[in-house]
Amino acid sequence: MTRRKGWRKTAYHVFLWVIVLIFFAPVLWIILAAFKTTDGILSVPPQFVFTPTLDNFVDLTMRQNVGRYFVNSIVMTVSSVSIALVVSFLAAYAFSRFKPPGTSFLMFMLLSIRMVPAVAVVVPVSLLYAALQWKDTYFGMIMFYAMFSIPFSVWILKGFIDGVSERYDETALVNGGSRWHIIFRVILPQVAPGLVAAFIFNMIFVWNEFLFSLILGGRDTTTIPVSFSTDLYSDGGVDWAFIASMSTAYMLPPILAILFFQKYLLIGMTFGTVRGEV
Amino acid sequence: MQADTTDSVRLAQVQGSLLTARRSMARWRRLFDDARMLPVLLIMPVLIFFLVWNVIPTLWMIGLSFYKYQITMPNTFAFVGLENYVDIFSDRSVWNGLSRTFIWVFVGVAVQTLLGMILGFLFWGSRDMPGRRIGLTLLFTPMIVTPVAAGLFFRLIYEPTFGIVNWFTKSVFGAEIQFLQDTSIAFWSVLLVDIWMWTPFMILMTLAALGSVPKAELEAAEIDRLNWFDRLRYIILPHGKFILMLGILLRTIDSFKTLDLVYLMAVPGNTTKLIATVLREQAFEALEVGWSSSLAIILLLTAIAFTSIYLYILNLNSRAREKVS
Repeated sequence: MTRRKGWRKTAYHVFLWVIVLIFFAPVLWIILAAFKTTDGILSVPPQFVFTPTLDNFVDLTMRQNVGRYFVNSIVMTVSSVSIALVVSFLAAYAFSRFKPPGTSFLMFMLLSIRMVPAVAVVVPVSLLYAALQWKDTYFGMIMFYAMFSIPFSVWILKGFIDGVSERYDETALVNGGSRWHIIFRVILPQVAPGLVAAFIFNMIFVWNEFLFSLILGGRDTTTIPVSFSTDLYSDGGVDWAFIASMSTAYMLPPILAILFFQKYLLIGMTFGTVRGEV
Repeated sequence: MQADTTDSVRLAQVQGSLLTARRSMARWRRLFDDARMLPVLLIMPVLIFFLVWNVIPTLWMIGLSFYKYQITMPNTFAFVGLENYVDIFSDRSVWNGLSRTFIWVFVGVAVQTLLGMILGFLFWGSRDMPGRRIGLTLLFTPMIVTPVAAGLFFRLIYEPTFGIVNWFTKSVFGAEIQFLQDTSIAFWSVLLVDIWMWTPFMILMTLAALGSVPKAELEAAEIDRLNWFDRLRYIILPHGKFILMLGILLRTIDSFKTLDLVYLMAVPGNTTKLIATVLREQAFEALEVGWSSSLAIILLLTAIAFTSIYLYILNLNSRAREKVS
C-alpha cells in the first residue's frame, strides 16, 4: 500500500469500521432487544439508551420446552457431525490413497448432494421416513444430518490427505506399521486442521438447519430454529422478547466458533479448495 | 495354598479370554491390512449412508414422479407416465417461481459480488487496522446467523409501526414504507436481507483471492509504478480469478436454493415465491407427492448441471497448478 498521511489513514480505518458496523447493526439491534422489556422493544421512537434487564433470559429458562430445544440441538449437532467425520475420514483416506475405480464418479455424486435444493432432497427422504417410521426420532434426524455433513467432510479431508505425502505411508509400511497405525497415528495428526475445519463448518450448518428439522422432525426432536416458528406467537401477537432473547442465546456458539476459528471458515465454505487465511 | 490355585486358575482364565480377544482383534486387523479388502472396508460406511439416505429415496422418487399420487386421496393413485412433467411445463406458478428465482439469483449475486469486491479491496489494505480480527468477525456474523433468525429479525426491523427503519424514514422523510406488506417492494426488501447476509461471503472470497497473489509480483508492480487498473488487470485478476469465480459460483448455487429466508419473512401474496417455495408448498401442504417428485427431479438435474460446471472450474484450477509446478 502507498504511504498515507496520519489523518488519512485514521479516516480510512474509521470508514472500514463504519462498514463493519453497518453489517453488524441488525445483529446488534437484536442483541440489544434481548435486554429490553417488551414495551422497550416496541417503543417509538426506538430506545438506544435503556437500563438493561435480564428478565427475558429468566423468562426463557422458565419456558417449558426451551431446555429441551437446546438439548435437542446440541445432541443432534454434536453426534451427527462426529459420526460424519469418522465415516468421512476413513473414506477420504481410501479415496486419496487407493483411488478405487469410480472414485471421481462417487466424489461427483457426493458433491451434487450439496448442490441440490434442500427441499428437493427432503421430498424423497420424507417418504422413506414415513414408511420406516423414522420421523421425529433421534436416530432418523442424526443419521440424516450425518449424511448431509458427509459430502463436505469427504471433500475437505480428501484435499488434506492428498496434501500429506504418500512417503509417510510407505515409510510406516516398510517399518512394519499396520494400516490401522498409519491411518490413526500417522495421517490423522497431520490433517487435524482439516478435521477442525470440517467440524466447525458442519456444526454451523446443522446448528442453523431449519427445513429438514421442520419436515422430518416433530414434537420430540424440535430444534431451536424450528422453535422460532412454532413458539412465535403469544397472546395474539409475535412474541418479540422471546425471539430476541432466544436468538441471542442461540447465535452465541456460531459467533464464538468463527471468532476462534476464523481461518477455517473459508476452507469449509469452499470445500477446502481455498485455503487462504484472512 | 488353596487361594493360590484358584488365583492361578482365574489368572489362566483371564489370560485365555485375553488371548481369544486378541485373536479376534488380530483377525480384524488382518482383514484391515488385506490390501484388497481395506479400501472396500473404509468406503463401506459412506456407501451405506449414500445408499440408504440418497440412492434409495431418489429412485423411489423417480418412480413416484410417473404416478398421480396425492396423500390425502389414496384412491386416485394411478400411473400417468409423463403427465406430471407435462403439467409442470405448462404450470404458471412454476414458471413464475423460476423467473423470480432467476431475478433473485442474478440481481442478488451481481450486487453481492460487486459490493464484496469493492469492500474486499478496501479491507485488504488494512493490515494495521486497530481491532481487525474482531472487526472481521463482526463483519462475517451475517452469514453465520441462520436465515431463520435473520428473517425474523428483519420482520421486526422492517415493521411499519415499531421498526427502526421506518422510525428513521418517518423522522427524516416523513414517509412510512410498507417494506413487506407492499407487494411491489416486498421482493426487493427480502432480497436486500439476502444481500446483507451474503456480501460478507464475497468480501471473504475477495480477501482470499487477493491473498493468493504472490507478494513478489505486487512489489514488482510497485517498483514499475503500474497504475491501479493495470495492476488489477495484469497481476491481481490472473491470480485471483479462480477464487473469485468459485465464490460467484457457490453463491449462484446457494441462492438458487434459497427457501428458509423467504419462508420466514412470510410475505403476503405471491410476490416472493421462489421455485423452492413452490416445491415446498406442493409437497408438504398440498401433499401432491407425484407432481412434486417430478419437480424435485427437474431441480435435481439442474443441480447436477451446476455441479458439473463447478467441477470443470475446479479442474481448470488444478490443471493450471500442474502447469506452474
